[in-house]
Amino acid sequence: MTAAWIALVVPWAAGIVALVLDGRRRAVGWAAVAGLAVNFVALVVLAVGVIDDGPRSVTTGDWPAGVGITLRADALGVLFAALSSLTLLAATSHELADGIRERSFPGLVLLLATGLTGVFVTGDLFNFYVFFELSMTAAYVLATYGGGRRELGAALVFTTANLLGTFVFLLSVAGLYHVTGTLDMTRIADRMAVVEPSTALLIAVGFFVAFSVKLGLFPFHFWLPTVYTGAGPAVAAILSGGLANIGSYGLLRFGGEMLPRELEFAAVPLMVIGCASIIYGGILAVSRRTASEMLAYSAIGQVGYVLVAIGVGGAVGFAAAILYAVVNALNKTLMFLTLRMRGALVAGAFVIGALSVAGVPPAAGFVGKLELFHATAGDPALIVLIFLGGALSFVYVFQVYQFEFWRTAPSGPRSGRPQQAIVGALALLTLSVGLWPEPLLALSRDAAAVLGAVGG
Amino acid sequence: MTLVFALAASALFGTGAYLVLNRDLVRVVLGVVVISQASVLTLIASGLVRGQAPIDPEPGLPVADPLSEAMALTAIVIGLAVTALLLTLVLRVVDAYRVRDLGEVSDEEAEQDERLERAEAAEHDAEEAAAR
Repeated sequence: MTAAWIALVVPWAAGIVALVLDGRRRAVGWAAVAGLAVNFVALVVLAVGVIDDGPRSVTTGDWPAGVGITLRADALGVLFAALSSLTLLAATSHELADGIRERSFPGLVLLLATGLTGVFVTGDLFNFYVFFELSMTAAYVLATYGGGRRELGAALVFTTANLLGTFVFLLSVAGLYHVTGTLDMTRIADRMAVVEPSTALLIAVGFFVAFSVKLGLFPFHFWLPTVYTGAGPAVAAILSGGLANIGSYGLLRFGGEMLPRELEFAAVPLMVIGCASIIYGGILAVSRRTASEMLAYSAIGQVGYVLVAIGVGGAVGFAAAILYAVVNALNKTLMFLTLRMRGALVAGAFVIGALSVAGVPPAAGFVGKLELFHATAGDPALIVLIFLGGALSFVYVFQVYQFEFWRTAPSGPRSGRPQQAIVGALALLTLSVGLWPEPLLALSRDAAAVLGAVGG
Repeated sequence: MTLVFALAASALFGTGAYLVLNRDLVRVVLGVVVISQASVLTLIASGLVRGQAPIDPEPGLPVADPLSEAMALTAIVIGLAVTALLLTLVLRVVDAYRVRDLGEVSDEEAEQDERLERAEAAEHDAEEAAAR
C-alpha cells in the first residue's frame, strides 16, 4: 500500500504548493506534470501488485478494523484510478505545451488527481464523499479556466447542478449509514441483504441520481453541453475523461457491490434510460456542426452504453460496462485534445478517435462494442438499439471530420510538436488497445469479478 | 423524533429547491445553502443512538452517536467552502455580464449561440455552393 500513499500524498502536497505559486511559469507547470507522473506511476505499480496478489486494504491511523477509515485497492478501483490519472497527465502536458494561461491551473489539476485517486482507492463511504467533494471542488474552479464570459456562465451551471447532485448523494449516505450502522463498504454490502427492500430502493435511487448527474445521462444531462462546449479543450478532456469516471465507477461500485438486489430490480428502467441516452445523444450530435458540440452530445450518448451494460449485469455485463467506460474515457480525451489543433498528425489522430467512437475496427471502440454485443446477446431489441446508436455515431463523427478537415482550409499556425506528440501517443494507445485487446479484456474481467465476489 | 427530522429536512429541501429554480443568482446560492442544510440535518438524524454530547460524557448516561456528528461537521465545513466558492463564481459572473439575473445571462448566451450558428450556416452554404 506504499504506492497508494505515494499516489495520494505527492499530488496533494504538490497541489497545495503549486496553488501558492504562479502556475503560468513553465517551471510550475513542469512540476505539476512531474507530480501527476508520480501519481500515475504509483497507481500503475499498485495496479500490478493488486492484479498479481489480489486486493489489499489498510486501516488508517492504526485504528482497530471497523473504527478507522479503510483504504482498499482492488482491480476495479486501481483500473479507474490509473485511467483518470493518465487522462489528467495527458491533458495537463498538452496544455503546458501550449502555455498555461491561469495561475491556479497546475495546483487545481494536482488536487483533482488527489481527489480522484482517493475516490477510487477508499473503502469507506463517507471518505468517498470527502474525496469526491475534493475532486468536484477542484473541477468547479477548473471549469472557469480561460476566464471568458462563456466559461464563467458554464462553470456556474456546472457547479450548481453538481452541488445538487452531491447533496442528494449525501442524503443517500445518511440513509445507508442509518440502515446498516457502518460506513465500511464491504460491511455495507454484507448487511444490505437484511435491509427492508423499499428503504434500500429509495437509497439506491438517490445514489443513481447523484452519479447520473456526474455522468450526464439523458434526463440529468442538462448541464453537460454548455460546460463541455464552453470549457477549453484541456479542461473538457479532464472533465469528460477524468472526472466523469467517478460516475461510471460509482454506478458499478454502489450498484454492483453494495446494492446488487436493487440493481437487479431496476434493470429494465436502467436499460430504458441508457437507450434513451444513446438515441438522444446520437440524434443531437448528428445535428451539430462544430466538433466541440458534437463531442458534448456524443458524451451523453456514449455513457448510455455503459448504463445498458450495467443494467444487463452479471459478470459479462459488468465487464462490458467497465471496458466501455475505459475505452470511452480514452476516446473523449483524445478527441477533445485534438480540438483547435492544426497539423499533419492531428487529422490522423482525429480519425482514430472517430473510428473508436463509432466502434469500427481496428480502434479500441470496436472491442467495447463487441463486448456490449456479447453482453446483450440474448436481447434482440437491445442489439438493434445499440446498432442504431453505432450508426448514428458513425454519421456524426465523420460529418464533423468532413467539416473540420476537408471543407475548411487550415487556418492559424500549426500546433507545436509536443502537442502533436501527445495526441499521437494517445491515438497509438487507442489503436493498440483495439489491435491487442487481451490485457484490457482480462483487466475488466478481473474488475468485474471484484463486484461479483462481494455482491453475488 | 425521526418524523420531526424527516419533515424538517424535507421542508428545507423544498424551500431550497424553490430558491434554486429562481432567476436571481443570489437566491440560487441561498437555495444551494438551504439544501446543504437539509442534508446535514439528515446526517444528524441518521445517528443510531441519542443522548448527551460525546465529548467528555458523564458515565452511565446514553451517548449520542459520534459518527453521525462527525459526518455532519465535515459536511458543514465542506458546505461552507463550496458556498464561498459559489459566491465568488456569482460575483465573477455578475462582473462579466453586468447582470445578476440568470434569465438575462442565458438570454445573452442564447443570442451569442444563435449568432455563431448563423455564421456557421452561412459559411456552410457558401462551401456547398462552391462545391457545386
